Amino acid sequence: MNLLKKDNFQRDVFLGLLVWFMLIIFYYILPDPGIHDIIQKVFILGLFAMSLNILIGYLGLIAFGHAAFFASGAYTLGLFLQSDFVLNLAGFSIPVAIVLAVLVSSILATLIGVICIRLKDIYFSFLTLAFQMLIYSIILALVNITGGDQGLMGGFPKPPFLGIDLGKPFDFYAFTIFISIITIVLLRQLIESPFGYGLRMIRDNSERPAALGFNNQKHKLIAFIIAGSIAGLAGSLQALLDVGAYPEWAFWSKSAEPLFMILLGGMHSFLGPLMGALIFEILNDFVTANTRYYGLVLGLVILCFVLGLKKGLLDWLLIKLNRK
Amino acid sequence: MKKLNKYSRRDILKTSASTASVFALSTGFPTILKAENNIKIGVPTILSGRVAQLGISVSNALNMAVDNFNKSGGLDGRNIELIIRDSRAKPDEAARVCRNFINSDKVDAIINAEASGASFAVQEVIRESGTLCLHTVSETTSLTADPSIRTWNAFRFSRQGIHDAVGSAEYAAKLVKEKGLKKWMSIGPDYAYGRDSTKTFFDMLQKFAPGVEIVGQGWPKLFQPDYTEVITQIVREKPDAIYSCLWGGDLVSFVNQAILYDTFKNSELFAINLADYTTMSAIKNLPKGLHSATRYVAAWPNTQDNRDYDKAYTDLYGDHPTNWSWETSIAIDYLINALKETGSTDNKKLAEALKGKTRKSFMGVGEGNSVTIRNNDQTLVDYSIGWGTTIPNDPFVKDIQSVDWNTIKELEKEWLINKGWL
Repeated sequence: MNLLKKDNFQRDVFLGLLVWFMLIIFYYILPDPGIHDIIQKVFILGLFAMSLNILIGYLGLIAFGHAAFFASGAYTLGLFLQSDFVLNLAGFSIPVAIVLAVLVSSILATLIGVICIRLKDIYFSFLTLAFQMLIYSIILALVNITGGDQGLMGGFPKPPFLGIDLGKPFDFYAFTIFISIITIVLLRQLIESPFGYGLRMIRDNSERPAALGFNNQKHKLIAFIIAGSIAGLAGSLQALLDVGAYPEWAFWSKSAEPLFMILLGGMHSFLGPLMGALIFEILNDFVTANTRYYGLVLGLVILCFVLGLKKGLLDWLLIKLNRK
Repeated sequence: MKKLNKYSRRDILKTSASTASVFALSTGFPTILKAENNIKIGVPTILSGRVAQLGISVSNALNMAVDNFNKSGGLDGRNIELIIRDSRAKPDEAARVCRNFINSDKVDAIINAEASGASFAVQEVIRESGTLCLHTVSETTSLTADPSIRTWNAFRFSRQGIHDAVGSAEYAAKLVKEKGLKKWMSIGPDYAYGRDSTKTFFDMLQKFAPGVEIVGQGWPKLFQPDYTEVITQIVREKPDAIYSCLWGGDLVSFVNQAILYDTFKNSELFAINLADYTTMSAIKNLPKGLHSATRYVAAWPNTQDNRDYDKAYTDLYGDHPTNWSWETSIAIDYLINALKETGSTDNKKLAEALKGKTRKSFMGVGEGNSVTIRNNDQTLVDYSIGWGTTIPNDPFVKDIQSVDWNTIKELEKEWLINKGWL
């Protein structure tokens, strides 16, 4: 097997499982739940940022409304687990809820994507934002279903499945990271596939692939749906972690978070947004623990990256390593 | 091009970033244990943005009580250590901060000073962890009234929407009869609290004064700067009275703008959240005769204990306490008392010590000026609720009338049964 080949599936699966295994060992070496919490959130937010980077980094479309899919995943999972279906499905409730969350987000992404991908540049960005605010308003308006501005209240059960009890910290930690790594490996396959290179071609010169017979709109729509589905998955994992879902997750400021992560980690390297999520979470933990000037510190850090490195950290590191 | 300086701008940036990282790793991250022996209390709250005053007045109230406790020797030499962090009013951030308190800081209890949305997020975290939690800000009734949300380890020390609704309606009904205030309008923030508060108020008002007519309702967005649209609607409809549950800066903006139209000459304003020092002092030329519930004023309850509390707080911080201050002060007083009573930080023992407990308080109107944490729903009752009219100068509110707690409890019970919560 050619280990240097970028789309080597076996190698990626092996590396993914190795990272998962190492993080499991790390769990026992450093039994601090605060650090475990950060690692879980890095993977959840990393998925969210990586999904947005399909559009920004590989397709050149800046979506301002990506949190709509994050929220739809979270609310779908929460509402399903609060429903009576849980009683019938028992052990399969959580896998079914996660699949449903991804499905609903993908349907929503299809509906929004069909309209948005017809536009480009700032018009695309603002139309995605408009749809997000529409979803936000719907969440606020459907008080009897969503809990309105107070979010899904009363929590929900997490019935064990296949011997995995997500109510236990270790099980949740291992499960969240496992699902995230599997998704990242699959996403890597997609990005390194001819489809992924098609996206790059559209980004760099949309007329050329069209002249070659590419269906640009179809490519863009599929990318939009995949990005929305992964954001929905991230939202469902976040809802499982917080045992709730909140309208703030559909607000425009939530869409800014993955943008910051991409800026911090880098948009031209596959794992850049994941590294951005790591920086973002460490900053969040450190800043909120030590000062109330969160926005100021985050702004200064981003300024350092933009003016100092002129790119995200992983992009910068990879360029440095390649030069050597 | 050859560089003229030995160190480039980029080198300086890199060095700064590395130094900052080392500093960060050595001081703050991860947020782990500091002093093992202290009794740790985690306080998620809002310390930034437009409602930063909430977190500031909560912190002040806590520091005032905790400093006294620590100076008097603490609990067998163990001091209380407050860990106060900003959630930026985001529910998921409040949940994360709360999990960090429990998992990394190993706090013995949480005093939750979040607004309603984030309070529900905190409730879910503490439900899972079983950590003792004292809510001191959220006024949303369902937090403790709805059995599906309630949990054994959560207690509410803040005022409650349903209590205020009954109190307001009882006061307003007297004036309806005296002055014939038949035509009513409302202006409330367009979110759950605003809509719930307005609906409950009018439901209760219909009970006390049947025949009252609602001629219009305005729902401005939360933190909206311009209220002209609603004010012109008021001017057009000419209602006898206006009910408003706007709060903070929103209420200040509305009153300031409404004054320009002489709105309150023809229509009497019943603003439930007006009589709090931070709000009243922000209004230019506070008009005479606006009706408000006493969120917090030194003049009510009219007792020496309350005046002493106001003086102690003002001497320390140069500012009057707020509604959030008194709520937090009562919570920390209850917690300190429970710690002393049980001699332990065991959450189950502390919860038992809090349940059903009656304590003398500067805000108490129960027997012997006491407040009580009610046994069945673990929520504060018998705190002072008064209604009066504004005057431009200190004490800012006059002719304050006390609201009868027997009526509140009776109508609250009826309301809870209708909701299916009792």
